Amino acid sequence: MNSILKKVAIVAMAIVFPFIVNAQCKGFTKKECMPSLKPYVYNGQLNSAVLNEGDVAELLLTFYSGQDYRIFVCAQDMLGNIEFKLLDTDRNTIFYNKDHDLVKFWDFKSNSTQQLIVQVRVPVAEVKSEIVQSGCVSILAGFKE
Amino acid sequence: MKTYIILFFTIIAIVIFNTGCNFSNDSNQIENDSLNNIDLNGEHSKKVKKIFYNVPSPIEMTAVIQKSGTEYKPEILNSYKFAGKYIKVPKQALILGVYGSDLSYVRLFDQIQLSINYLSSIKKLCDELNIPEEQGSFAISRMETNMDNRDSLLQIITETYASADLYLKENERGNTATLIILGGWIEALYISTTIVDFDLEQNKAIINRIAEQKYSLSNLVELLKSYPEDKDLQEYLPLLEDLKLKYELVQIDYVKGNVVTEKDKKLTTINSTAITKMSKTSFEDIKASILSIRNKIVNI
Repeated sequence: MNSILKKVAIVAMAIVFPFIVNAQCKGFTKKECMPSLKPYVYNGQLNSAVLNEGDVAELLLTFYSGQDYRIFVCAQDMLGNIEFKLLDTDRNTIFYNKDHDLVKFWDFKSNSTQQLIVQVRVPVAEVKSEIVQSGCVSILAGFKE
Repeated sequence: MKTYIILFFTIIAIVIFNTGCNFSNDSNQIENDSLNNIDLNGEHSKKVKKIFYNVPSPIEMTAVIQKSGTEYKPEILNSYKFAGKYIKVPKQALILGVYGSDLSYVRLFDQIQLSINYLSSIKKLCDELNIPEEQGSFAISRMETNMDNRDSLLQIITETYASADLYLKENERGNTATLIILGGWIEALYISTTIVDFDLEQNKAIINRIAEQKYSLSNLVELLKSYPEDKDLQEYLPLLEDLKLKYELVQIDYVKGNVVTEKDKKLTTINSTAITKMSKTSFEDIKASILSIRNKIVNI
């Protein structure tokens, strides 16, 4: 009976665990990421998720003409340096942080209002391991009036 | 036998738990099969695991009003006095968004007392939505001492709405956060379309901003679609799809320019141009649709 209960507990943990991790991810974003966006004004929409190594995520957003923007990609240390690109809707690369020492944030200004895509990728660990690394990644957008 | 009964009910409980969470899950983070061929790093194509959709904040949207010199019209706003009349949670969330835009508008005209009144109503709605004081409306307590300038108010509005969004998503209530975004976006567009005179040259910047909402509308529609089981959000989807059809007639000709990156400033400038064309008929159609959706939102 004990063995069955143990199995039930393990299964329950496996199912509930992602939700706990997800909540922790939001907490991480609040503590570790949001303060770094200043002096830009946070757009108020949280874009965070638990990603595995090799995963790609995208954020679609609008840049208004004449307004300054900061994109800040924040991730837990165990994931390594996150790559991010700014793409136009034809998927042409406007900015790639790999060309700039994998910097975590960059500022942008557009002379016309346009739809843009922030694409992030979690690097794959160089040393192969049976355990896939996963952690919280947040993409924050801030603007200046 | 007893163990198997416990096992059976545990599994059922877990299934229900997961279904419940998925219902209100932070599912603007959707999986998407249509976006593949991601070529980062020159490696094999990768599939995009998550897609987030952002809609410009009311502060961003209303910023252009300040520069246009339009007349201040507080009578068009949804009165802060109505806050207590909205009883149901989805409505309260929508009105929280509406008040965010109304507050952003009165702030532009340095209406301190009215700003305090709106902030008090926002606090009331945060309480009704069980957004804790320190998360959703902690900033309200600072308002009396910090309302002396527009920048302080901007800080208070931003912190209040950002914390509410974070708290709701942290607690698997992303659908409620999306209702706030929907209410705010519609109200900001309602204010813009109501205060503007299409034929006045000095209003051109606002008219362009209204036309440019074509982009944000697409993001908003996708955001709503990512909560297929939320009937309150889905109720607004056909209305937004109808608005999208009207926006199809708005033409934005985009001419790509060079991209300049200044490494020392950590700044990239995109030198593109866009010519926006929206006829008066299209404007009036869009305005009518916005008014209709807005009335549905604020209707008690």
